[in-house]
Amino acid sequence: MERQTGPGVSWYDWIQAAEDPARVSEQPEALDDLLVLDLSQGHYGALLAGTFLAELGAEVIKVEPPGGEPARRWGPPDVTLNGEGLAFVTEARNRYFVTLNLESAEGRALLRGLAARADVLVEGFPAGYLDGLGLGYRQLGALNPRLVYVACAPYGQFGPLARQAGPEYDLIDQALSGLLYVTGDPEGSPMRVGSWIAAYAQGAWACVATLAALHWRGASGRGQMIDVSGAEALMRYLEYSVLLYHATGQVRERTGLYELAVFPYTFVRVKDGFAFVAGYTDPNFQALCRIMGRPKLAQDPRFDTTIKRVVRENEVALRDEIQRWSINHTAEEILQRVLADPGPGVVVFGPVNPPTRVLAEANWWERGCFRTVADPLYGELTIQMPAWRMTRTPPRLKWPCRPAGYHNLHVYQKYAGLGPGRLADLAGAGVL
Amino acid sequence: MTDAYFDWTAAQFDPARIFAKPEALAGIRVLDLSVIILGPATADFLGELGAEVIKVEMPGSGDVTRILGGAALFWQNVSVVFFAQNHSKYHLGLDMHLPEGQALIRKLAARSDVVIENFKAGTLEEKFGIGYRQLRAVNPRLIYVANTGFGQWGPYARGRASYDGLAQGVSGLTAITGEEGAPPTKIGNYIGDWYGACLSALGTLAALHWRDRTGEGQFVEVAQCEALLRAMDWTWLYAGLTRKDRPRTGNRDPVFAPSGVYPCRDGYVALVAGTEAELQGLARLLGRPELATDARFATAEARRRPAHAAALDGLVAAFCADRTRVEVEAAARRHGVAAAPVMSARDHCESAHFRARRSVWEHEDPVYGRMVEYGPAPKLSATPARIRWAGKPVGFHNEFVLKRLLGLSEAEIRELEAKRVIGKWADRVGAKPPDRWKGEGRLE
Repeated sequence: MERQTGPGVSWYDWIQAAEDPARVSEQPEALDDLLVLDLSQGHYGALLAGTFLAELGAEVIKVEPPGGEPARRWGPPDVTLNGEGLAFVTEARNRYFVTLNLESAEGRALLRGLAARADVLVEGFPAGYLDGLGLGYRQLGALNPRLVYVACAPYGQFGPLARQAGPEYDLIDQALSGLLYVTGDPEGSPMRVGSWIAAYAQGAWACVATLAALHWRGASGRGQMIDVSGAEALMRYLEYSVLLYHATGQVRERTGLYELAVFPYTFVRVKDGFAFVAGYTDPNFQALCRIMGRPKLAQDPRFDTTIKRVVRENEVALRDEIQRWSINHTAEEILQRVLADPGPGVVVFGPVNPPTRVLAEANWWERGCFRTVADPLYGELTIQMPAWRMTRTPPRLKWPCRPAGYHNLHVYQKYAGLGPGRLADLAGAGVL
Repeated sequence: MTDAYFDWTAAQFDPARIFAKPEALAGIRVLDLSVIILGPATADFLGELGAEVIKVEMPGSGDVTRILGGAALFWQNVSVVFFAQNHSKYHLGLDMHLPEGQALIRKLAARSDVVIENFKAGTLEEKFGIGYRQLRAVNPRLIYVANTGFGQWGPYARGRASYDGLAQGVSGLTAITGEEGAPPTKIGNYIGDWYGACLSALGTLAALHWRDRTGEGQFVEVAQCEALLRAMDWTWLYAGLTRKDRPRTGNRDPVFAPSGVYPCRDGYVALVAGTEAELQGLARLLGRPELATDARFATAEARRRPAHAAALDGLVAAFCADRTRVEVEAAARRHGVAAAPVMSARDHCESAHFRARRSVWEHEDPVYGRMVEYGPAPKLSATPARIRWAGKPVGFHNEFVLKRLLGLSEAEIRELEAKRVIGKWADRVGAKPPDRWKGEGRLE
């Protein structure tokens, strides 16, 4: 793995070689000693937990009801792939897909057999549902004390509102988290983040907790139960909101394009769309004024300190001043001026990219953020790649989604010793 | 059956017993060389799970989040922005520009498991001599975590600085948020920092798992822009297949109908009915049993047709308009429909549920007194995450860290202070303790 290690090699060249996306498969995988059961059904956050672990090398078996799980239908209305939703196809990667009817006695027995061998189980059923089937942590933890059992639900597994909670949707989590309340125009309604951001937060937190629990298991030999709410996953990202209310009685409201903490730090109109611009410390603001060709603006009595720049009426006035200049230039023209500025001070600037423009930028492809795969079952797919770069155990994409039950033969042969004949019987009985 | 389940979970996760239980990452030491949010939050998330975090800051002024914001954000001589990513850390004021400061960092790194930094790519190696290649020479087991906007290498990594707002725009996330035709919506929190930090903690723990297996450390990096574009579900697959941008649909989730955010008597409520069973529940909730058999609403696919979705949307809006948020939430719950209030910070502070789960965490800090903050997100039954204390003034634990870890004597510490290699807070807002502070919480 260590290429170009000589003392003369610059950091840039060394790290680029060490993280070369083209050579990922030559390296080992961090989690390839782990067996994970993904019991997410109609639950994107729990699905993503399995995805992240699978990207990092875990063997993830996705258990679906015969015919496939509900999230297979999730995606935009106008495009599907083999009748399946794009949201599912893009994030169901790297797994082994099996079917199993958990409501049948044989199905439950098979699941117990898998759970006895597993390191991790992730589920997103309503709180208590699997426990009612005899497949909750109370029962599976007794069977396999080393199991780390992760339950995902909007209100969690305990607390006054945990019982009879409704299903988990991203919009519900965004509402409970406080993110919805602070996003959008102050004069308008609260505004949802366009992607299922709570599910990503929930999946990431589920994995953070799981890996911490596995580290502790190494010392103690004991598994445990982990409870992750998508609402709380996102709430933890709401920074100072609740402290501000406690400390000062001030409720953090929507500020739209303006800011409580720092300014300028906003979107402005440019000739070809919108762009982000920031320069909120004094030297950085002076750099912005210099780049705009208006160095004296930095001494304007409305704008000459960081504190004055976050007074709302000054923010509005300052954004107007910046926009009067930015509207006459393309984002690329301004970016080139920002990059050419010798300092002192740093201006942070970049375009507000629609997705198709992101995909047209070479940077992300060189970095390995996207890959186009020609899949024998689903055709040509543009897929977002794992977010981590790791010099020793890089994460990776192996294959995208597969149909429900695609790996039944392999998995049940491997973990239950069931051959094709027995599997056909079970399928006939509605177990698989 | 479910009563027994919830009695059992209440006992398993009993918040009164959090401090009676062990910590998952006890014995893991994190050296946090980062500032602002992305890096410090990565360290903070590991600290919540039990790691010991040493936060290194410039003597005098410290982390810039200590002074962010107008007067409204200041409390007890510091900006409230500072606290959410700086819990339970040991604060060391040390100047990494000086050779003696760098030597101390190398010694601390030799005794640490994880180093976290968010300088411009290459800075710590080229300017300070404490980059990954130098530190792993003193500690081959080290996991070195670097957080940036655009990564350590690649066309955008050279010279381009980043903030959260930039990442929101560059990644495409802004462009898929908000109403079609409206100006872009800036997401109300620093989502790229926090989600990036969460992924960064995840990558760190995966590297720790590998180290537990093999003894090998490694370099881990997360770029903020790349974290956000990884969090956009079907956006890229759709753009690849259609060569089009996914439409912006405001508060309506294009996958589920009905879905939206509706005004109530006392604020807003979010409601979604995505499945056939939930549609049946919605029909009961609205008192409109005929909806349950209406062909326009029989399948998710049919409900998503614009005219059908609009019809349902109007009925839901009318139902919510003359009710309170809690009335809608409770009624929806009875009928198996997902609905929730759009909660503010005040709602969080007053929520019995989130307080019972310690997602809203009240604690008493020796320096700052009673505080209410967002608590750890995941709940672990055997090794619960926790907040031990709040962030502290610059250099608050200098003596404790240098004596305990590096065995420095009082005289050596005074000499380093005299040379300005280490130092505490300057007498300025942001860096210094509250006015009424009289030495509480100090460690020697």
